Amino acid sequence: MSIAQKRISRRKFMILAINAAGAGAGLLIAAPIVGSILSPIFYKSKYPWVMVADIQHVPVGVPTAYVVMVDQGGDSWQVPKVPRTVYVVKLNLINQVQLIALSNVCTHMQCDVHWDINLNVFFCPCHGGEYSMDGTNIAGPPPQPLFRYQHKLVGNTLFIRNVLVGGS
Amino acid sequence: MADELQRSALVAKLTRPVAGLMATTYRWVDERLGVTDLVHQLLYEAVPKRGAWAYSLGSATLILIVLQITTGMFLLWTYVPSTTEAWQSLNFIEYHDEFAAIVRGMHLWGAYVLFVVIGMHMVRTFVSGSYKKPRELNWIIGVVLFLLVLGLGITGAMLPWDQAAYWTATVVTHVVSYLPIFGTQVQEILRGGPQMGPATLTRFFAIHIWLLPALLVPMIGLHLILLRRHGEHGSWVNYEGVEEETEAERAKRMANAEAPYPALPSDPGYAVPMDLDEFFPSQVFKDAVVSFGLVLLIFVMAVVIGAPLERAANPAALNYVPTPEWFFLPLDQLLVQFPQAWMIPVGVFIIPGIGTTLLMLVPFLDRTPGRQPWRRPEVMVPALFVVLFLVFEALLAVNRLFNL
Repeated sequence: MSIAQKRISRRKFMILAINAAGAGAGLLIAAPIVGSILSPIFYKSKYPWVMVADIQHVPVGVPTAYVVMVDQGGDSWQVPKVPRTVYVVKLNLINQVQLIALSNVCTHMQCDVHWDINLNVFFCPCHGGEYSMDGTNIAGPPPQPLFRYQHKLVGNTLFIRNVLVGGS
Repeated sequence: MADELQRSALVAKLTRPVAGLMATTYRWVDERLGVTDLVHQLLYEAVPKRGAWAYSLGSATLILIVLQITTGMFLLWTYVPSTTEAWQSLNFIEYHDEFAAIVRGMHLWGAYVLFVVIGMHMVRTFVSGSYKKPRELNWIIGVVLFLLVLGLGITGAMLPWDQAAYWTATVVTHVVSYLPIFGTQVQEILRGGPQMGPATLTRFFAIHIWLLPALLVPMIGLHLILLRRHGEHGSWVNYEGVEEETEAERAKRMANAEAPYPALPSDPGYAVPMDLDEFFPSQVFKDAVVSFGLVLLIFVMAVVIGAPLERAANPAALNYVPTPEWFFLPLDQLLVQFPQAWMIPVGVFIIPGIGTTLLMLVPFLDRTPGRQPWRRPEVMVPALFVVLFLVFEALLAVNRLFNL
C-alpha cells in the first residue's frame, strides 16, 4: 500500500470518526431530552373523589353551578388545588330523575360556558357555541357535547372525580 | 478590505478627538482585535440613496427586538414562572414598583409596535419586489422570523397567569389537539398532562424566554449577513427608469457601483441602484431618528397606559370572555367561521397553513419581470385582497366580541 493511499484512508477514517462522534454525542443528548418532552403522555394520574353538594338542594330542570376544589389530577407536581365549576343537572325523565355533572369547559376551544337563563342554553362567549340542558351541542362551532365528570352518590351527597367522559 | 491608505485615513478619523496615550492605546487594541477593519465593514457600506427612510424599518425591527430582549431580561428580576406566584409577582410590581411596571409596559408596547413595524417592513419589501433574485431565501428567512415573533407574542401573553393569560393558554393548547392523529399527545406534551396545570406555565415560559429567542437570534444574524451580501437590492424607487436607460447610461451606473452591488451580476438591470450613499452616517442617521421615535412612543405608552393585569387566573370562571390579542383576531374569526368536526382543523391549520406557505413562496410565485408595483398587478392585486381579507376578518371578530 502506497503512502498516498494510506493517507487517504487515514483521512477518511478521521472524517468518519468525526461524524460518528457527532452523531453519538447528539444521540446521547437528544434521547433524554426527547424522552422528557414525551413523558407527559405516559404520566399516571390519580383522581380522588371530591364532594360537591347535597342533591336535595338541586332544583329539577335548572343547571346549578358548584365550584369544587380539585387537584391538577396528579399529572405534574403538587400545587394548591384549583377551583373548577361543575354544573349539576337534574333531568326529569319519564319515570325517574337523571343526574349529570357537566364540565363548563366548551368542547370547541375550552373557554368557559355558562347557563343562560333567558336563552335556556349553555352559552360560550368565545365563538358562540350553544348546548342544551343535558350538554348536547346544538349551535355554533362545538364539535361534541359538553364533557361530564364521573360522579357517584353516597346517600344524597354528590361526589365527582376530575375525570371527564364524553357526554350524551 | 480597506487598503492601507484608506485604512490609515479611517484610523485617523476614529482617533481624531484624542491624541497621545489614547491614540496609542487605540492602535495597540486595533493591532490585536482589528477594530478598524470591523468598523469599516460595519459602517462604510454602499447603500441606495433613494428610499432610505423606507429602509429604516428593517433596522427599527432589529432595535425593537433588542429592546424586547433587554426589557425581558430585567422582567426576570421580579417575575416568578409559577401558577401560584406569577400573578402575585406581577401584581406586586404594578402597585409597589413603578419602575418595574414601566419595564413591563415597555415590553408589552414594544411587542405591539414591533408587530406593526415588522408588518410595514414586510409590506415595503413586498411592494418594492425586493424578494426577487438573488434574495429569495432571505425573504423566506424573513417570513420565519415573522412567525417566530408571532410565537413570542402568543407565548408572552400566557405568562402573567391572569384571566387573559390563562384562557389564552387554554385555547392555544387546545387548538393543537385538533391536529390529526397526534393531536391529544401534542396537547399533553405542551400542557404537561391532559389538563392545564403548573407544568403548562413552566413550559411556555421556557419556550418564550429560551427556545424561540435561541432560534430568533441566529436567524436575524443570517438575515443581516445575507442583506450585506446582496445589498438593498431592488426597491423600485432606486431603479426607476432602468427599463428605459441606454446601454451607455447603464455602463455609467455599473462603473459607479461599490461593493456589494457589482458582486452579483445576476440581474444586471437591477444590480446597482441609480444613486449610492454611505451607510454611515446617511442611513444610520435615518435609522436613528426612526428608532428613537419608536422607543419614545413605547416609553410614553408604558408610562401613560402601561400593561394591564386582570384578576388572577380562575379555572372555574363562569362569565369570563377571553379576547385574543389584536394580532390574532383574524385567526379567532376563522374559529367561528369553521365550526364542527372536520371543519375546525380546516380553520385552524389548513387555511393559515396555506396562507403561510403562499407567503413563503412569494419569490417563486412572482414570475413578473419588473420590480415596480404597477408593473406587477398579478401579485399586487391578490396581495391587496389578502390584506383586505385579514382586516375584514379582524373587524368581524371585533364586532362579535364587543357585541356580546
